[in-house]
Amino acid sequence: MAPPQTRAAKTRRSAAVAADPVGVDFPVHPEAAAEEELIMHLEPDQFVAETSRAVPRARLRGGAVFALWALRVFVVVVSAMVIYTFVEQLH
Amino acid sequence: MSAAQAPPSPPVLAPPAVTDEDAARSLDRSRVHRARLGGRRWSLMWLLVGPGILAMLGENDGPSMIAYAADGAQYGLGFFVPFIPLLFAMAYVCQEMCMRIGAVTHRGYGELVLQRYGSVWGWFAAGDLTLTNLVTLVAEFVSIRVGLAYFHLGSVVAVALGLVLVVFTFSGGRYWRWERIVLGMALFNGLFLVAAILVKPHVGAIASSLDFSPFPGGSFNTLLLLLASTIGATVTPWMIFFQQGASADKGMTPRDIGHGRYDTAVGAVLAAIFGVGALIAGAALLTHGGAGIQGFAGAGFPEALRHVAGNAAGVVFALGLIEAGAVAILTISASTAYAAAECVGAVHSFNTSPRQAGLFYAANFGIALVAAIVILIPGAPLLSIALNANVLATVLLPVSLVFMLMLANDRGLMGAWANRRSTNVIAVAVVSFVGLCGAAYGIDSFLLAVHVGG
Repeated sequence: MAPPQTRAAKTRRSAAVAADPVGVDFPVHPEAAAEEELIMHLEPDQFVAETSRAVPRARLRGGAVFALWALRVFVVVVSAMVIYTFVEQLH
Repeated sequence: MSAAQAPPSPPVLAPPAVTDEDAARSLDRSRVHRARLGGRRWSLMWLLVGPGILAMLGENDGPSMIAYAADGAQYGLGFFVPFIPLLFAMAYVCQEMCMRIGAVTHRGYGELVLQRYGSVWGWFAAGDLTLTNLVTLVAEFVSIRVGLAYFHLGSVVAVALGLVLVVFTFSGGRYWRWERIVLGMALFNGLFLVAAILVKPHVGAIASSLDFSPFPGGSFNTLLLLLASTIGATVTPWMIFFQQGASADKGMTPRDIGHGRYDTAVGAVLAAIFGVGALIAGAALLTHGGAGIQGFAGAGFPEALRHVAGNAAGVVFALGLIEAGAVAILTISASTAYAAAECVGAVHSFNTSPRQAGLFYAANFGIALVAAIVILIPGAPLLSIALNANVLATVLLPVSLVFMLMLANDRGLMGAWANRRSTNVIAVAVVSFVGLCGAAYGIDSFLLAVHVGG
């Protein structure tokens, strides 16, 4: 049994027929033309292949790192207080 | 003939690696291009609205509407009529940044925090989100149950309705389809405005309350709880994850930022109007002094409204609660799915099938399922969970807002689209206000609990 065709493959095939209907020699691979047709509306950095690539790590100054850690500790402490209060209210 | 002796063939362009997700997104973008080229302004607007309205109306969820109605029933219209729009103006400031970051980077909030600032921060943000989302989802199911209780239907129906909706929106494997279904449902948030009209409010009383008076009375702790829960009803961590992830999933680009701002502003205006609608409907119960309504128990507000303003007002408010809970289940589950899949680097898009993005869809359904199970546990403290959901969200919100602010100022990512100085001044003021209210409430309540307990 033939494997099920994906949506991208189906769109590629129909776009290839549209790009080269009479089968004339074509310097660009029909598959490539189809891909071009298929993806021409996306910006280069919008492709899954591109967005899957991690962005570089930001370099934070010491003060910023300290401030972030202080914020984390503060939020954990305040959250613990809210949860304690919530548990007390249950009683 | 060996390969070395073969005549040179014409250059063949290798096809780029295109996924189904790219194909689906490109299809949506082609319609945007055609509308833009054809100068069809309204068509372009229709194609580009979605994430902003969904984030804002999704936040007008069951607990929020019950909180607004409770404010009205307990304190009347004064202070809250102008305060709710002010909060949505603050929400606009935050959500506009999310939309802009999503449109420029084409990435979700969770993955950017994780990659840019390290896995500790990324997982912490995702952990914050999962905890608050789970608590909030429980409250959403409770609000659906309150609405259904008016029609003599129970928890099992509420759970079934919520879960079936989540599964139904998965069908099709297209972000566009998911967005339009939820958008169509979200517009029924306007039922709260209908409820406000049905209680026949005094227009003069509404107009005279625009000067923030009278200021709600009561103890300092009560006032802080009121502020924290109302802020928590308007700006929450899930909105940040959701709108950025949805803007990227929709395929928005920097050219669409203007329309993204309209989308977010329209969402904020509608949400403020409908929120004030719930407040006005609740204010019809002011003579009750808020006592005995039990917003999350039984048929709560709809039943109380029926006694004061007639059956139509009760029915509309009950249907509004069901809608508010249902839409929030869809958007909050989606934000959890974006966060979970982004943090582990898995596929995270509605432009994929459940087979292609198993983790994304599993997280989406899974968190709704866990919340549904909690609802069905006999004797579970649902009332306390629902009441504290907004407060917990408010306490955890500053972390999400600080990272969002850092991302929006990151010129390495945002380039020319980074925050301006004026935006930063407003955003820092918003983050400080929200953070102070949440922290003050947390500390004050804790000290009170320790004192009472001791």
